[in-house]
Amino acid sequence: MSPVFPMLTVLTMFYYMCLRRRARTATRGEVMNSHRTVVPNNRTSPLTTELVQYAKEVVDFSSHYGSENSMSYTMWNLAGVPNVFPSSGDFTQTAVFRTYGTWWDQCPSASLPFRRTPSNFQSQDYVELTFEHQVYPTAVHVLETYHPGAVIRILACSANPYSPSPPAEVRWEILWSERPTKVNASQARQFKPCIKQINFPTNLIRLEVNSSLLDYYTELDAVVLHGTKDKPLLSLKTSLVDMNDLEDEDYEDKDACGIDSLNKKLNSAALGEGPNNGYFDKLPYELIQLILNHLTLPDLCRLAQTCKLLNQHCCDPLQYLHLNLQPYWANLNDTSLEFLQPRCTLVQWLNLSWTGNRGCISVVGFSRFLKACGSELVRLELSCSHFLNETCLEVISEMCPNLQDLNLSSCDKLPPQAFNHIAKLCSLKRLVLYRTKVEQTALLSILNFCSELQHLSLGSCVMIEDYDVIASMIGAKCKKLRTLDLWRCKNITENGIAELASGCPLLEELDLGWCPTLQSSTGCFARLARQLPNLQKLFLTANRSVCDTDIEELASNCTRLRQLDILGTRMVSPASLRKLLESCKHLSLLDVSFCSQIDNRAVLELRASFPKVLIKRSFTQ
Amino acid sequence: MRTCERLVKEGRFVPSNPIGILTTSYCELLQNKVPLLGSSTACIVVLDRSNHRLHTANLGDSGFLVVRGGEVVHRSDEQQHYFNTPFQLSIAPPEAEGVVLSDSPDAADSTSFDVQLGDIILTATDGLFDNMPDYMILQELKKLKNSNYESIQQTARSIAEQAHELAYDPNYMSPFAQFACDNGLNVRGGKPDDITVLLSIVAEYTD
Repeated sequence: MSPVFPMLTVLTMFYYMCLRRRARTATRGEVMNSHRTVVPNNRTSPLTTELVQYAKEVVDFSSHYGSENSMSYTMWNLAGVPNVFPSSGDFTQTAVFRTYGTWWDQCPSASLPFRRTPSNFQSQDYVELTFEHQVYPTAVHVLETYHPGAVIRILACSANPYSPSPPAEVRWEILWSERPTKVNASQARQFKPCIKQINFPTNLIRLEVNSSLLDYYTELDAVVLHGTKDKPLLSLKTSLVDMNDLEDEDYEDKDACGIDSLNKKLNSAALGEGPNNGYFDKLPYELIQLILNHLTLPDLCRLAQTCKLLNQHCCDPLQYLHLNLQPYWANLNDTSLEFLQPRCTLVQWLNLSWTGNRGCISVVGFSRFLKACGSELVRLELSCSHFLNETCLEVISEMCPNLQDLNLSSCDKLPPQAFNHIAKLCSLKRLVLYRTKVEQTALLSILNFCSELQHLSLGSCVMIEDYDVIASMIGAKCKKLRTLDLWRCKNITENGIAELASGCPLLEELDLGWCPTLQSSTGCFARLARQLPNLQKLFLTANRSVCDTDIEELASNCTRLRQLDILGTRMVSPASLRKLLESCKHLSLLDVSFCSQIDNRAVLELRASFPKVLIKRSFTQ
Repeated sequence: MRTCERLVKEGRFVPSNPIGILTTSYCELLQNKVPLLGSSTACIVVLDRSNHRLHTANLGDSGFLVVRGGEVVHRSDEQQHYFNTPFQLSIAPPEAEGVVLSDSPDAADSTSFDVQLGDIILTATDGLFDNMPDYMILQELKKLKNSNYESIQQTARSIAEQAHELAYDPNYMSPFAQFACDNGLNVRGGKPDDITVLLSIVAEYTD
């Protein structure tokens, strides 16, 4: 008999028991039906009125293209009535995320993915919207006005963000979910996915998107929530789901486990002494470990409950060197961290991005976990982790001396003083502060002490007063810097650029998009080109002064260029672009949207001559 | 102006700070991917119904008049750098930056005052004020008998049309010609220009 059979038998029995439980429930449910007025056909009672609402407010999101406090290309445009739909095009009044395609995964600043990420978790960005009235949703429509197809998941929350008292429980239910699929048109569309019925009313909807298959930035105009105030009477299709609610038992959700069930899986108490595992025991330790490497985290935790041998394997800290909890953001709480703690003492990469919001993780819970598990931590992802406060940053700085990679992207609720602690992390090689409130002094301190920095993101850091001073410090202290994101750095001038160019010759990636105070006539771009021969990615988005000379300098000096964005300049001609494309053989992305001299015909000619380069030209109508 | 409209519709403004509307709108224009170019004067008038106060912001030589009982009780001042060169908001092409006029929205004049029922508020471009002196405008406004939409529309149109006619009269001593003479330029006639007239009346609030 194959040694795998005993394990299979145990697992099969486990699943079988769950199925049986559900079947028994259904039978009992049928009997209970006679006490209620169930309409046997698929129509809701005429007495339930359907409400149609546009979003009232955008309360949280992971990124956007526009500037903070602006109405152009920012997430706040998703609230309210549509401004553009049914027109198609690249309009200011829409909600746009910061990235698209795979370009950000291909550039030097790209991060490696975590091991053990489930293949059904593909979400890259999210936005949360509230509505005036809580309803039982019957439909969610998303009005997309440009390059549709990014929405891959829609969720509803049981908590009412407008209720004065904090919610008793915060429950997220997936209304609809699908793998990213390519939509072939860039035209506007009203996306009407078929959503699941849920058993609680909601006025908080979350969209998760994946833009990797898109040819350009997706733009969303509005979200419409259809629903009923009263719980709709059951249609036969969904009766099975609701009967479980009547029984008030938790049921297995194949997509995302409920908080309780995940915690139960993690609880390894009460494992009796079972029969031996036959030949399974004879497998070498490392081989079983290797097999377990392929399981997702919930499966690993379930497996730990099957027998003592597997419990030992599944609780081995070596299985938790990479811990990616982002896919389980909806279910993760302090208790989850507590259960994971004993296994995670050797964790090196920890991803808590998107987790813990609305009170699910406390400062105490997080601190306790880090105190136990932070010593070997090398990489810490905390994007949109709004539970963080200054104490948490202090704990990180004290408990994680080996930290090399820290991501605080969009932690916009972190107070400025929290960033003072980061300077203690002297081994930092990568630091992402996109859309945070870090201030001048704290940043200067970080730059002073973190001389190992190779990747730094200061995109949309609006509280920095003088970017020239920052650039000067970077040029002086961060000699190993390879990538620098200065997207929307409002006041950097040619002086700052000069310091950067001379101080950081290793720079491979530089994002100077939407920096209005850089003037080509000062020669700053030419200087950049001459002093940074290793440049692979250069974004000069919406710098209206980029001219032919700059392009020619890039062509002569930056032959390793792969990605260039010169959106919105009037001063670049097709001829200089041709020189650039001939010289930079590795160029794969060239964004010439809204460049007055580069019309459709010019783009078509360039595409014909250089078929390997993706030349982007956006349009408004 | 479309940006101002968006701002106002979305409630992103403070009624007593019309300069704020100007400043925010102007900054928003710079956030457009499309490289916008051009310049303009601007005049913004906000009526706060809760305390019947009018808040105004004016940059350049457009402007407003408030007429009560047949007389001008409030008016905006023209802002000019020199003759025929008003203050203006502008986005210049990069090669011309620093060479062309570009006034900051903060340079706008701002006033606040009470208004009464029946007050007529006229906002217009310099095309009107350069061609029609006050007494002619007041004459037209006297013809306004009631405050329904059609009458106001009719009056606004007739003011604009009259100004348009005068603009092409070569012998007419227009306010513009008068001002030119005062500045040492010996000219007569109207001043052909774009003419925009907005007319409003402070009336009872009906839902």
